[in-house]
Amino acid sequence: MNEDMIVCRCEDITLKELRDLIAEGYTTLDEIKRALRLGMGPCQGNICLEIAAREICKMTDKKMEDIKMPSKRPPISGIKMSELVGDNQNEK
Amino acid sequence: MLKRTGIPTSDDLQSVTPDKERLLEGPVAIIECFNEIPCDPCFYSCPFKAIKKFDDINDKPELDYSKCTGCGNCIASCPGLAIFVVDYPKNRLSLPYEFLPLPSVGDKVWGLNRAGKSICQVEVIKVKDPDKNDKTAVITIRLSKKYLMEVRHIKVGDLDE
Amino acid sequence: MILLINTDLLVIGGGPAGMTAALKAAKRKAEVIIVERYHELGGQLTKQTHRFFGSKSEQAGTRGIDIARGLTKEIQNMSEIKVLTEATAQGYYEDKIVTVSYQNKFRKIRAKRIIIATGASEKMMLFENNDLPGVYGAGAIQTLMNLYGILPGKKVIMVGAGNIGLIVSYQLLQAGVEVKAVIEADSEIGGYLVHASKIRRTGVPIYTGHSVKSAIGESSVKGAEIIKLDENWQMITGTERFIKADTICLAVGLRPLVSLLIQADCAMVYVPELGGDVPIRDENLKTTNDQIFVAGDAAGIEEATAAMLEGEIAGLKAASEIGYLSEDVVEETRRLKRELKKLRGGPIGRKIRRGLSKVRGDDNVKKNRYSHLR
Repeated sequence: MNEDMIVCRCEDITLKELRDLIAEGYTTLDEIKRALRLGMGPCQGNICLEIAAREICKMTDKKMEDIKMPSKRPPISGIKMSELVGDNQNEK
Repeated sequence: MLKRTGIPTSDDLQSVTPDKERLLEGPVAIIECFNEIPCDPCFYSCPFKAIKKFDDINDKPELDYSKCTGCGNCIASCPGLAIFVVDYPKNRLSLPYEFLPLPSVGDKVWGLNRAGKSICQVEVIKVKDPDKNDKTAVITIRLSKKYLMEVRHIKVGDLDE
Repeated sequence: MILLINTDLLVIGGGPAGMTAALKAAKRKAEVIIVERYHELGGQLTKQTHRFFGSKSEQAGTRGIDIARGLTKEIQNMSEIKVLTEATAQGYYEDKIVTVSYQNKFRKIRAKRIIIATGASEKMMLFENNDLPGVYGAGAIQTLMNLYGILPGKKVIMVGAGNIGLIVSYQLLQAGVEVKAVIEADSEIGGYLVHASKIRRTGVPIYTGHSVKSAIGESSVKGAEIIKLDENWQMITGTERFIKADTICLAVGLRPLVSLLIQADCAMVYVPELGGDVPIRDENLKTTNDQIFVAGDAAGIEEATAAMLEGEIAGLKAASEIGYLSEDVVEETRRLKRELKKLRGGPIGRKIRRGLSKVRGDDNVKKNRYSHLR
């Protein structure tokens, strides 16, 4: 099977990169996230995390329900700094 | 096979087709609804109470052929577009149609079977598209008797295509 | 300083579940704010040009777009409801406040109760060249076509024979697009057979037990190589065949959008039958966070009629907890639950029922894929 397919469109990560990393021993999503930026793009992991979880399960004999998911911190989508601090300074 | 291809088998069809005697009496609805889904608008559409009230909304519709007059009210009520009216003596079939352009009365169009194959030419004899049908037109076609139980869709456009 | 808004009830998501939740609560005089990401209310209903199934008393036979219009109008007529469109809920914080980005500003909303009706996102699928322009999600195609009047392409391969795949195929045909085939990995069609039959009789083949091996094309989709699967969903080498197309549409499932629920520390459970991680809740849709309810696809993937009923139940309960009691609450809640039970009662609802049986009870907490964060 050709492993040159995209797992994470936001960060352009291929299945091969993901599988190589799992084979190296990166078997949690948090580790993979830190190494590859998987799940850190605009969609915040909505697309890729489940696919990556499935690959971990396949390669390490785990079950989907046992995979620890990375945390979901606010803000949920990308926002401008000005939204947070800029214009609001003028408001009472 | 219906579950694999989307094409009902002859056994499926037999379970919803009235006997020859009833067909010869005149127009009658054929409800090609084969799985138990939560849906009941057909019951409310029938002015003759020929479609049995649903005890469980997931039941398949049951049609009392003796009460059905073939009025066709149910055709556009079915969200699954699964109801047809066959008028065996007059070689007519009424079917739901949600494509544009609508055909015109007198048009010769292709009759398609349940697999989408063009099997014969048919003549459009009625086009009903009242507001109450909410954009589901009911087209009545005339066709050869042997295709009455086969044709379930039409293809509007050039016959040579 | 960030502006703080106080309200009785905050509804996050203005789709079918959120709209009915807001209406039910507002009719009992609760003050409601709806936060909706899109520029109008309706959610997925705004793309559903087909007639709905279900019970006639719950709008069966009506087209989704008309249900959305009706509910939107009702909401606009309610002075108790304030709608923020193009507004995105961004986070839930320990002090029970939700932040929202709205009109380029950050707002804080403090509500006595919150109903999370954020819906779902589409699942992706792995195959070669899956990043080629011309590969779309079914939701994107519906948005382009049914909201903006833009055709995605001329020849489409649909992947997935669930209701979404079948319905979007039909809508593509109505828009004059050629649907080359519907590909389904399972050995049977997952959606309603009447939907399958209605596209099949226009001539669209449905290949069950098949998958997409690769998208073909250099700079955009020129077709796809499809392949047969064995009973374990493994590709059978040698069965590849090429289908020419300029668009591949993926309708391979949805996943509940639950980030806010996780931030709010609601106990979750992983339930494949409901599309992924969903919050544990009681029969009134109350989560393990006393302030928070859930409704619609965020509670588990189902269809819009169920979402609307869930919204109503949650809206009613939230309003009475805030203090807007009315005599009919008990009877009305009972009726709604009865309707929901009827809807899920048949063979089609089996999967949902199995899924729902897992969202209650302590045993399941151990399947919480987020519990290590708590």
